[in-house]
Parts: sequence; C-alpha cells; structure tokens
Amino acid sequence: MELVSMFIAAVLINNIVLTKFLGMCPFLGVSKKMSSAVGMGVAVIFVIFGASLISYALYYLVLVPLHLEYMQLITFILVIASFVQFVEMVIKKYSPSLYKALGVYLPLITTNCTVLYVAQQNITEQYSLIETIVNSIAVPAGFLMVLVIFAAIRERLESADIPECFKGNPIALVCAATMALAFSAFAGLV
Amino acid sequence: MQVFYAILFGVVLGGIYAGLYYMNHKTPVPKGCENLKADCEGCKVTSCEMHPSHNIKETNHD
Repeated sequence: MELVSMFIAAVLINNIVLTKFLGMCPFLGVSKKMSSAVGMGVAVIFVIFGASLISYALYYLVLVPLHLEYMQLITFILVIASFVQFVEMVIKKYSPSLYKALGVYLPLITTNCTVLYVAQQNITEQYSLIETIVNSIAVPAGFLMVLVIFAAIRERLESADIPECFKGNPIALVCAATMALAFSAFAGLV
Repeated sequence: MQVFYAILFGVVLGGIYAGLYYMNHKTPVPKGCENLKADCEGCKVTSCEMHPSHNIKETNHD
C-alpha cells in the first residue's frame, strides 16, 4: 500500500515538472505535437528506469564499500551519458522502427536534469531496491502525463485567438503556471 | 589508497563512456532515419545541439 501511495505521490502531488520545475527544456521544446510528446515521454521512462537502477547498484556495490560516496555525482552523470549511448546503439542495430520513433529524443535526454534528479533522490532518500524501482517508474510517468496534457493544450492553442504578444512560449508558460496551480490541489490526497 | 581507487574508478567510467560513444557513432543509422530531427522549437539554451540557431547557414554579406 505504501508503494501505491508513493507512486501516486510522485505522479500527482510531487510532479517533477510542476513542483520541482525540472525537465523544463523538453517540457517547452517538445510539447508542440502530441506524437513528439508521447515519444519523448516514453524514452524518458525507459532511460530513467535503466539509469537509476545502474546508479543504485554502482553506489551500493562499489562506492559505499570503497568509501567513495563523494564521487556519486560524477558517477551518475557518466552512467546516464553511457546508458544513453548504449541504448541508442542497441536500438539503431536491432530495432530500426523503434529508432525512428525514439532515437531522435535519446540525445536530448542526456541533458534532462530529471534523470539525474531521480538517481540522486533514490540515494538521498535511502530508498530500498523495490522503492527505487517504483520511484524510477513513477517520476517519469508523471513527466509523461504532464507532457501529454500540455501537448494537448498547446495543439488547441494553435487555433485559439490569442493576442499577438502572447503567442508561442508566453502563453505556454501561462498555461504551465495554471497547470501547476491545478496540480497543487492534489496535495493531501495521500 | 582511496585516492587511487577514486582515480581508477573515474578512469574506468570515463573509458566506458568513451568506448560506447565511439561504438555508437560507428553503428550505421538504419535506412530512412538519416535525417531525423526532433520537433524542438528551442528554449533559450543555445548550447543545446537541438537549438534551431545551429541550423542557420552562414551567409556571405559581401
């Protein structure tokens, strides 16, 4: 039950984009089309899940026994960058259709601070392995949900009659702020 | 000894990244995916490789 609460909290209450303001670059840059938003969101789930598990294992199996905890930041950055390169290579070689759908978003994810945040959070909150797995799926799932909602709003904004000075990113940021306010109503849900 | 382990660990991780980067760039891109581009409109981070400013061709003003 606690894991379910944790999942709901990570998706709705402590949403990474709307409460921590992380991952704003893809949130604004890749939210104009629904198909792009879904592709980016799925790729982020895959990369965060894989990179978090590897980071978790490296921290507890290598860094802690060798008393090198102070190297966790550089370790996690290199793990994320290496994992993205590896995933891109494998997808290129074995699944061209998947590469066509997700490949273009993989390099963008390397610079997505959400990935590093989740890897760090799993360590600083001292999560167990099962909690790490749940958190590594829930946080990017929240990112995907918000990205899809935001893409739907932006698609409708394209045909809306709005003042010239608000077109583009200004109205998108107003919508993001309104979404953040709406999501704050979930506080206290679990 | 701890410093030695730290340096060794950093070098190993850096080496793994460099190796994977090299192998990834050596892997041929599948047919039909040569000119894939993200629909990123660009934020204000001009150092990002996806920023549209990198696609502007230099023009000769003379």
